[in-house]
Amino acid sequence: MPTITEFINTFWVGSIYFLSAVGLTISYRVTRVLNFAHINLMTIGAYTAVLLSLSSPVHVAFAIPVVFLVGGIFMMAVHFAVYSRLMELKATPLVLMISSMGVWIFVKFFLYGLLGYLQKAWKVEMYLAKPRLIVGGEIKVEGLTLSGDLFTALALATLAAIFLYVFFSRTKTGKALRAVADNPDLAEISGISHSRVMYITWFIAGGLASLSGMMWALFAHATPELGDTLILQLFAASVIGGLYSVPLTTVGAYTIAAAENIVIATLHETIGLEVSYRPFFAFFILLVVILVRPPLGAGGGLPYRFKVLRRLMRR
Amino acid sequence: MITFDVIGFLLSWFTFFSIYAILSMSLNLEVGYAGMANFGKVAFYGIGAYVSAYVSMSIFLSLAGLNYPLYSLEATMAMVKLASQNPMLNVSVFILTLILAFLIAGAIGYVIMYPTLRVGPAFFGITVLSFGELLRIFLRHYEPTGATYGLTGIPHPFAWIEDVFVKNLLFTSVTLIILILLFLYAQRLVNSPLGRTMLAIREDEIAALCMGKDVPKVKGKVLFIGSGMAGIAGCILAYYIGSINPNIFVPTVTFDVWAMMILGGIGNNKGAIVGAGIITLVDRATAAINFVFPGLIIDPNFIRWMIIGLIIILVLLFKPAGLIPQTYTWTPAWKIVKPLEEKAKRRREKLLSPFKKISKWFLMGG
Amino acid sequence: MAPILKVVNVTKYFGGVRALEDVSLDVEKRAMVGLIGPNGSGKTTLFNVITGFYPPDRGEVYFKGRRIDGLNPNEIFKLGLVRTFQNPRLFFNMSVWENMLVIPQDQKGESLLKAPFTRLWLNEEMEIAKKASSLLKDFGLKDFVINKVSDLSGAHIKLLESARGLMGKGEMFLLDEPAAGVAHTDAHKIFSFIRRLRDEYGLTFFIIEHRIEVLMDYVEYVYVLHNGRLLSQGTPEEVMRDPKVIHAYIGE
Repeated sequence: MPTITEFINTFWVGSIYFLSAVGLTISYRVTRVLNFAHINLMTIGAYTAVLLSLSSPVHVAFAIPVVFLVGGIFMMAVHFAVYSRLMELKATPLVLMISSMGVWIFVKFFLYGLLGYLQKAWKVEMYLAKPRLIVGGEIKVEGLTLSGDLFTALALATLAAIFLYVFFSRTKTGKALRAVADNPDLAEISGISHSRVMYITWFIAGGLASLSGMMWALFAHATPELGDTLILQLFAASVIGGLYSVPLTTVGAYTIAAAENIVIATLHETIGLEVSYRPFFAFFILLVVILVRPPLGAGGGLPYRFKVLRRLMRR
Repeated sequence: MITFDVIGFLLSWFTFFSIYAILSMSLNLEVGYAGMANFGKVAFYGIGAYVSAYVSMSIFLSLAGLNYPLYSLEATMAMVKLASQNPMLNVSVFILTLILAFLIAGAIGYVIMYPTLRVGPAFFGITVLSFGELLRIFLRHYEPTGATYGLTGIPHPFAWIEDVFVKNLLFTSVTLIILILLFLYAQRLVNSPLGRTMLAIREDEIAALCMGKDVPKVKGKVLFIGSGMAGIAGCILAYYIGSINPNIFVPTVTFDVWAMMILGGIGNNKGAIVGAGIITLVDRATAAINFVFPGLIIDPNFIRWMIIGLIIILVLLFKPAGLIPQTYTWTPAWKIVKPLEEKAKRRREKLLSPFKKISKWFLMGG
Repeated sequence: MAPILKVVNVTKYFGGVRALEDVSLDVEKRAMVGLIGPNGSGKTTLFNVITGFYPPDRGEVYFKGRRIDGLNPNEIFKLGLVRTFQNPRLFFNMSVWENMLVIPQDQKGESLLKAPFTRLWLNEEMEIAKKASSLLKDFGLKDFVINKVSDLSGAHIKLLESARGLMGKGEMFLLDEPAAGVAHTDAHKIFSFIRRLRDEYGLTFFIIEHRIEVLMDYVEYVYVLHNGRLLSQGTPEEVMRDPKVIHAYIGE
């Protein structure tokens, strides 16, 4: 049977996935760019926190806004330098996706080079670091320690969810964002500045993803591969949301976290499955979602039904 | 002073060039012609390599009546002895594994990806990328193929030749011949009704579907061929470097191939090969620099990868068509509109004239 | 004579929102039939259901006596039912010539094994090319063979779209606003051209049009959709006089 730790980890990891995946979802919905550079953001967020707390530990309340800003500004810069220019050239979503891949590689190895340099120059371990953030609120219940990191992650996820809900349904900018997402042409006519909406989206998506990177660094530790190891989980969570719906992305994030903690622990005990096969669950969920509930509308899919499925449905 | 082996450098460049040219050509069939963003090229490359390593090592060991696990040190040692005994066996195993690598990689590409062929490019890209990552994770934990250590001692098809130089020369020429054959096949494929249909699907898959094309079926065919070609490339790699492990097949390999294809020109087989030539040359050069001047302050590897990323971004921004832009598909039907075809040909000549001038300048010496 | 297209009680909901409800209609062979209605009345949705974009929630669609609801769009095209889109969807980066040649179904050269060997599909290819070249001549597009479609003018693109439809075994055309965004006089040109096509090639046309008045002189029968329901039907004159139709249009 899975222990209480697995349940706690589900919520902890799920919140981190949520913070990151939700950014991926809203940015795709508004800009139609499948942003692979999103993966960098997590690494950037983690290392921003590491660098902030390098000389002396800092309080998490100070780190959060800084990390958010760094991530948001980075993503806005990427949009300014690459995506906005490609959009002016009327690039297809495919081309935008490829360019985001270029950004991903460039930034990833830039970070590698930079961290390697800092490691040599400052003589600190950089490729495996942990941010020294002061997080209060540790609770001990019946011999079980619930760390403040867990509560921070939960609080951040809840705050982000509330913020997104209020932002999208109550504020003028949020409504504009949704209008652009659902119908770019219509939004253009009604006088909503398309480019401003994009910058705002990238800022929010970038900020949330880099926060999730920081939280992951607290959960595990910061490595230059941090984002890359989580690709599958993030994209699977977003695909469950159809790269469109925020509530469904939330469901996806926690489902995958549950599969990776509770389900695998159970299987490990019962049939001796290796714990490192964890990512297979995310892939399995991804395939099932694509087969059974294909996200056709937003993703620009085909109105095509497989014969086998068609026969099954008829029965 | 370290002497620099020019011929060795050229041979290794040509081999890697052929491997990557096959990969980028196969990617070009998928992306440039059928519009499928295959971010998991490396998976099929890896499948090809592992299939050929596994099959050839098993054949050698079982023929010798040895019963070691493939990944054991004993097996590796035995391989070294067995490899140089029977020329016929070596070559025929090589040919057999080439075919097997093609078929198995192709079939896996077709089967695994078929469900994703009707969803949009974003979802397809995510699934294939994940598949590549997963395969690597799987191989790292799969005991029969040596887990993280991989397989070592893959019998080289020309191991029976004692002179290392001749051996390498022969192998490199064989890979170049395979490349040329595949190039001719790909050229014929794209200049046929199938190539035309693929292009139509890339242009607008919904319109193609409404015009009666079974889009997932055509895409599946292309995926089969593309993955199969990647499998062949993987097979050549396995024999060339002699030992493979899961860490060779990281996602970054895929991006290398993408950079080659984008640089050369999306939707053009020649472009894919030119791009592969340029980038593998840079690649080998960085490797040589690394070898000649070890211990630089920033790893040249990182700079190399940053350049790859930059190439992708800059080409898309400033020269989206790449070095050699895409043309029409030239089927015999153009003969019906012959006078117009002549006009088109002249336009092509005009496009190519700068290249011709340069080549003339080289040949005539100015 | 049995109708070539028969739609029976088709109902379609999108996430609880009604798009079509109990729509039934018939289109006779070699007829020109109009489908009119205010914006958002479900005209394009009906076309999408007929051509297999979405399966209907309830109801049946028959084409030439064969049930086609639930088939994929490509299978429906093969039966001879061709549709066009409001914004023409051609293969814009390909030449006019390739746009024509790509259409015929199940070409031998589309097989993976046969494609590399020109000999195996040469004859078929030449036949297709002959058909394409005579069609292009008929449509006055002969001089643009080598051009990319994106270089053509709007009117030529519309022509090419029809020519392309004839490359297949198209017997019936569903035209989604063929005269969208075109001035009245030019719209008349387009519709008289469609009528000529009907007479010369013996085709059937089912046409969506937003403006009633331009369509009236050309079609024999009109269906009016409003809020996903069939509001009225009849000859153009009857429909024009129907108070329900007038109310729907004025009340918009």
